[in-house]
Amino acid sequence: MLYEAKVALRYLLSSKMQTGLLIGGVGVGVLVFCFMSALINGLTSDQIEQTVGSIPHVTIEPREQTPKVLGAADGVVVLPAILRDNTQRAQIRAWQTVLDSLHADEKVRVAVPVVASNGFIARGQAIQPVSITGVNPEQLSEVAAIGPAIIKGAADLDLNGIIIGARLARNLSIDVGQTLVIRSDRGGQRDVKVRGIFSIGIESLDERVAYMNFKAAKALLNLDNGISRIEVKLYDLDMAPALASNFAASTGLKVTSWVEKNKRLFNAIQGQRSTGSLIKFFSIVTIIIGVSSALLLTTVRRKSEIGIMRSMGMTKGFINRVFVIQGVLIGLLGAMVGASGAFGFTTLVLELAVRADGTLVFPIDPSQGAYLAGIMLATVASTVAAILPACAASRVDPLEAISQ
Amino acid sequence: MTSDATKTALLSVAGLTKDYIVGDLVTPVLKGISFDIYTGEFVAMLGPSGSGKSTLLSILGTLLKPTAGHFFMLGNDLTKAGERELTKFRNRNIGFVFQYHHLLPDFSALENVMFPAVASGLMDDVEAELRATMLLGRVGLSHRLNYKATKLSGGQKQRVALARALMNNPALVLTDEPTGNLDRESAHQVMELLTEINAESGTTFLISTHDSEIASRCQRKITIIDGKIDSIETNPVVQHGLAAA
Repeated sequence: MLYEAKVALRYLLSSKMQTGLLIGGVGVGVLVFCFMSALINGLTSDQIEQTVGSIPHVTIEPREQTPKVLGAADGVVVLPAILRDNTQRAQIRAWQTVLDSLHADEKVRVAVPVVASNGFIARGQAIQPVSITGVNPEQLSEVAAIGPAIIKGAADLDLNGIIIGARLARNLSIDVGQTLVIRSDRGGQRDVKVRGIFSIGIESLDERVAYMNFKAAKALLNLDNGISRIEVKLYDLDMAPALASNFAASTGLKVTSWVEKNKRLFNAIQGQRSTGSLIKFFSIVTIIIGVSSALLLTTVRRKSEIGIMRSMGMTKGFINRVFVIQGVLIGLLGAMVGASGAFGFTTLVLELAVRADGTLVFPIDPSQGAYLAGIMLATVASTVAAILPACAASRVDPLEAISQ
Repeated sequence: MTSDATKTALLSVAGLTKDYIVGDLVTPVLKGISFDIYTGEFVAMLGPSGSGKSTLLSILGTLLKPTAGHFFMLGNDLTKAGERELTKFRNRNIGFVFQYHHLLPDFSALENVMFPAVASGLMDDVEAELRATMLLGRVGLSHRLNYKATKLSGGQKQRVALARALMNNPALVLTDEPTGNLDRESAHQVMELLTEINAESGTTFLISTHDSEIASRCQRKITIIDGKIDSIETNPVVQHGLAAA
């Protein structure tokens, strides 16, 4: 193998222009590969962060209780009218056990118990419907990105505190520090003080959502033993559907992943990824075609040398390896040049392509350039590309080559 | 002269035929060739163009398979050997010197000579370099060891090719018009070298040539005409090779 490598290297060095162009060609292919990875992955992360960042990756809720129809005697046709029991609030009673098992799962980043229901906020004669969400104060940021959206007061959820949206505050003409009455849909009520006002920028949220302390909300909603749902965030978003199935099987509860709840976004992300994969695929195909055609030309140019090597007793395997090693060297060098170039280029784009307001023109992420994958794929592609010329070279008839 | 009965046959050719087939057209090139070449001989193969000399040389060099007949060398029936076996046999036992030197242009004179031994793993680098240096010295090119093949003159290239052919200490060196591309002076030097090496080492040479002057320096002349042996003549005045051994 050592001598084949020496011959391969000598061949590459003897045609510096061709070798340089080949390495450059592979480099450009890898640069496109890594740049597209950084761009598509950055874009995807950005979209997910914008959308999924504020919603749970997996939601665990109580199953709907549907009355069973008892069997009828033979020949009797039963036409049941099923009425759902709405007298009891749906809740997860053994939530602490479920929460413990979620905390023990290394794929789970955080699991947050939440109590939630509809209710009303009243101030004087003004009454506004709200969606009440009760959460432990230290876990508020896991449930919603409220912290950065606070425009007045603070995101404090003490037992008597409440955080409401800016539009709701305007409708009720209320400000931070003032007291209002919150009523549940089952008649419970409690006086609370406004601790913070947020503005997310989505009208429905700014008008309808109110966050309360977990314990206070449990008392208000009369959920002494249970909770409404558990919101789970994972380390790997893509695992949400699979883990949701596992959790459903192990808990017997209704478990939904963010993918099910955001099918459009998921499909858009998938489409984006597919487009990126297609572009990356074609960049690899280009590498294969480029390297293969150049090495094929080399076999024609070196036909008499190949012939003389065969006449000197070099095996077909020897000739094969000389050309395959050329492919490996071209691929490896080109890939490293391309990957380095891609890292530099994406970093430059990240620094320079910034709008006046500080946002990025391209939500590119240089750390997601898949450089190692690019280097490995390009090296493998270049090696595969060398196989055809290597076979052609090893098939050279020494007699024909020598007589040229 | 030693009689044939006491000499060892290096190679024996018996009833060798070769047909070239293109579509339905069968062109017989060799038509039942039989002869022996003995260890240490210096033999010329004569014949006009198209007589089948090159085809026979290719078969003896194991680069071409005969259509029929047998070809034994060093006790092996090479007509029955597979390609892998022939490749190895060729590397170990046969050297070639062609009309055109066919050196590897990207390698130095030393590397070209080392190539058959090192690339096949027959010798390690140190051993091969020592022998290649010695051989290049023997052909008068000690001062050109590290010259690229492309930087050498025609005569020097052919001498490097001769050193390369001798690198693995082959039993047989086949040469096809080895002086055909050289000027008179270089041709003379190359022929001198061939005869000297034959005399010194006992390496067997088979030289395909048109040149009657070259043939006159060989111990035997095998003349082929129209694919058949026309004559095999012994030259009693030539003293090198077997005669000198």
